[in-house]
Amino acid sequence: MTASTSTTALAGRPQSVLDLYRDDGPLARAVGGALGARLRLPPLVLVAAGAAPLLAVLAVGGADVPLAAVGAVVAWTVLLGALSQGRAHDDRFAWAVPVVLRLVEYAGLLWLGALAGADAVPAAFALLAVLAFRHYDIVYRLRYQGVSPPAWLGVVAGGWDGRLVLGFVLLAAGTLPAGFFAAAIALAVVLAAESAAGWSRFARAQRPALYSDEEDENQ
Amino acid sequence: MTGGYTETTPAALDAPAAARARGRSRRPSNGRAGGAAATATGLLLATAAADEGGPAAALPWGDGTLLRRLLEQLADLGVRRAHVVCRPQWERELRPSADGLGVSLELHVSAGPAEDLRIVARLARAARGATVLAHADIVTHREALAGLLADPRIPTGILATGGNIGQPFVQTTRTMRGRTVSAASAYHAVDAPNAGFLGVVKVSPDDAPVLAEAAERLASLVEGPLPPGWEGELERKRAAWRRWLAAARTADEDDGPPRFAAGWLADAEAGAAAGEDVALTADEESELARRAAVAPADVVSLLLVGLVRAGTHVGNSYLRRLFWARPLSREGVAEAAERITEHDEHRVLLESAVKANDGFFTTFFVSPYSKYLARWAARRGWTPNAVTLVSLVIGLLAAAAFAVGDRAGLVAGAILLQIAFTADCVDGQLARYTRTFSKFGAWLDSVFDRAKEYAVFAGLALGASSAGDDVWLLAGCALTLQTVRHAVAFSYATAHREAIGGVRQPPLEQPRDASDRRLRLSASGPFAVTEAVAPADPRPAPAPASRGRSLLGELPVRGLAAWRVIDRLPGARWVKRMVAFPIGERFAAVSITAALWSPRVTFVVLLAWGSLALVYGIAGLVLRSLSR
Repeated sequence: MTASTSTTALAGRPQSVLDLYRDDGPLARAVGGALGARLRLPPLVLVAAGAAPLLAVLAVGGADVPLAAVGAVVAWTVLLGALSQGRAHDDRFAWAVPVVLRLVEYAGLLWLGALAGADAVPAAFALLAVLAFRHYDIVYRLRYQGVSPPAWLGVVAGGWDGRLVLGFVLLAAGTLPAGFFAAAIALAVVLAAESAAGWSRFARAQRPALYSDEEDENQ
Repeated sequence: MTGGYTETTPAALDAPAAARARGRSRRPSNGRAGGAAATATGLLLATAAADEGGPAAALPWGDGTLLRRLLEQLADLGVRRAHVVCRPQWERELRPSADGLGVSLELHVSAGPAEDLRIVARLARAARGATVLAHADIVTHREALAGLLADPRIPTGILATGGNIGQPFVQTTRTMRGRTVSAASAYHAVDAPNAGFLGVVKVSPDDAPVLAEAAERLASLVEGPLPPGWEGELERKRAAWRRWLAAARTADEDDGPPRFAAGWLADAEAGAAAGEDVALTADEESELARRAAVAPADVVSLLLVGLVRAGTHVGNSYLRRLFWARPLSREGVAEAAERITEHDEHRVLLESAVKANDGFFTTFFVSPYSKYLARWAARRGWTPNAVTLVSLVIGLLAAAAFAVGDRAGLVAGAILLQIAFTADCVDGQLARYTRTFSKFGAWLDSVFDRAKEYAVFAGLALGASSAGDDVWLLAGCALTLQTVRHAVAFSYATAHREAIGGVRQPPLEQPRDASDRRLRLSASGPFAVTEAVAPADPRPAPAPASRGRSLLGELPVRGLAAWRVIDRLPGARWVKRMVAFPIGERFAAVSITAALWSPRVTFVVLLAWGSLALVYGIAGLVLRSLSR
């Protein structure tokens, strides 16, 4: 990575598709934009380092962790993931970055749900299902319409970073099950409405889009 | 939309059976291409001479000529205007070909390739709709042309073949992720070809200016003394064809003619350097002379190189199991007429409605009958989107049945899930069979697939809870694993596509293509064939150039090569596809484990198999990324 690429990163590099796949929220964008350029590390190294404590905790079961430690793990994951936002995703392993972010978000939310008690896990599942729609929609809209969902939707949805922070706050406040259910329902309504609006816009203004049946579809 | 195609045109549906079965008066056949190619213009090159003299396009076919046959096929696909470029004194022979076809034909006389290209440039500048650039003397099925012309997903693309059609004279291409990244002409080489170009290019109105520019540039290049290396490249091809013709003579009847791959060019070069002499029979010599004479005047291939080198996104439509030939003599026409009848066009249409890269379970347990369901649905006039919706409803019913939790519910859910999956296969096959591609339909299909799967997870977890077993955490893990697995596929494909798009194409003067490492790796898809060694060619494919890598740097390349060797083992392809745990295998695993055992077993199996697939998949991608 050369110095010139990190300068472009600071100046707000043009969004690549991998950026869209990351699904960053305002928090990650702010942190990444301000500090990301200073860390001359490939984005995958940053997100992997961010994921390490979380995955380590999960590997040993993840139960009975004091709240402060949970907070520390979540904060570390969010901080390093957010820092990677400011780095150019142009090295040969950049494709793995959105994958790690997906893993930390889903596994993290599930963990927070499990910590809140067995009753909270269905709520976490509901939230994950709605988030899955969001993440598949980003890919499929881009593939079939040639455009991505609007940027405001990413802000409203909070990004992977915002949702992890929200999960911890709800856990600390002791209202996680209700909070997750409420978030899932609210997000589902917004996402479905926006998707419907997006498709009716598309139907009115036909845009060319290149797509082919790909092996991705099969997995 | 690019190409003048409207989104949901039931475009050029040549499912005559479908129309017939409907029994009602079908729309006039000229309306079948819909608004689709209605504005398309044909730009046909009738510049190749037949053995017997005169244009090859005027060789007799039935009561008419080769050109008439092609014009008829194109007219049926909505091409109402055709420009035909020919040599002086050929107009008289060609003009009657359009009589009574309802196609307005304009003949352009040109003395040679440079003038041909200038005419193309002028016509491309004037183009308003799509332009169909083709040799006027090819013999193929209407269905093959329809696959390219009537597919709205290919704004600009070519008719290509990944199979062995025993034709060394077809110029090669390299295609990656559905995009032609390198193309050959008489003067241009493809570093590692994996497909052949069959002389038909569709150019969208957006890309027409690029075509015009390329044509002008090429005209000035072929006019004067040829750029350095061009003659040498043609010589290299001639030598390779010579070797191929000699090999074809001695090839085993059962194996058919040898596959023409990159190796032939390298071998010919080595042979020529060693002063080797390949003797041909008189017939073979005349065939070689005929093809070698036509190649330098093949402006269609030159223009394809021009488009690709200009960075145009050129897609592919494959010949599948249809027939294609470019006979340049009466004898060749007679042979083509005989061989084309061996192919059943409608059979191929139905067979090719099945996705080539489906998983094991889908290919062997669902597609064999789902394609007939697709045909049945087409005859009933069902739309793919209606089938998609039915599939979702049945999938949700399956989830509801799983949620009941008792044995009867689990068995009912298992059966319903399989029905939903069959319907899911039918919608795509129906879309491909009737060419009713809609972007919204494709999105719906993809999103509903995920919705069904995750609804079933929720149903299973609910059912288990009511049976006193809490598996919500396992369900959440299964959802996470599946989403992450998809994220791997999406992200890698995206990064790879961007890398391919980022390759700098060399200027047109350069005979060699980009030879970029990024273009050599991971040719995937059903037609990645040339890396496999042809049966008649016992030599191994040339190893990728090491380009000054250290021993450690070579390891991933070697690993990848070993990976490909395993690929070629019989049956290995299917084992690999099963390990990848595609949707058919997943739904089968859910149905079987839930019906026979319990949701807990289902999730454990999904997690175990899915984790294996994830590790296996990532290992392959890491190898590829390292050898970049």
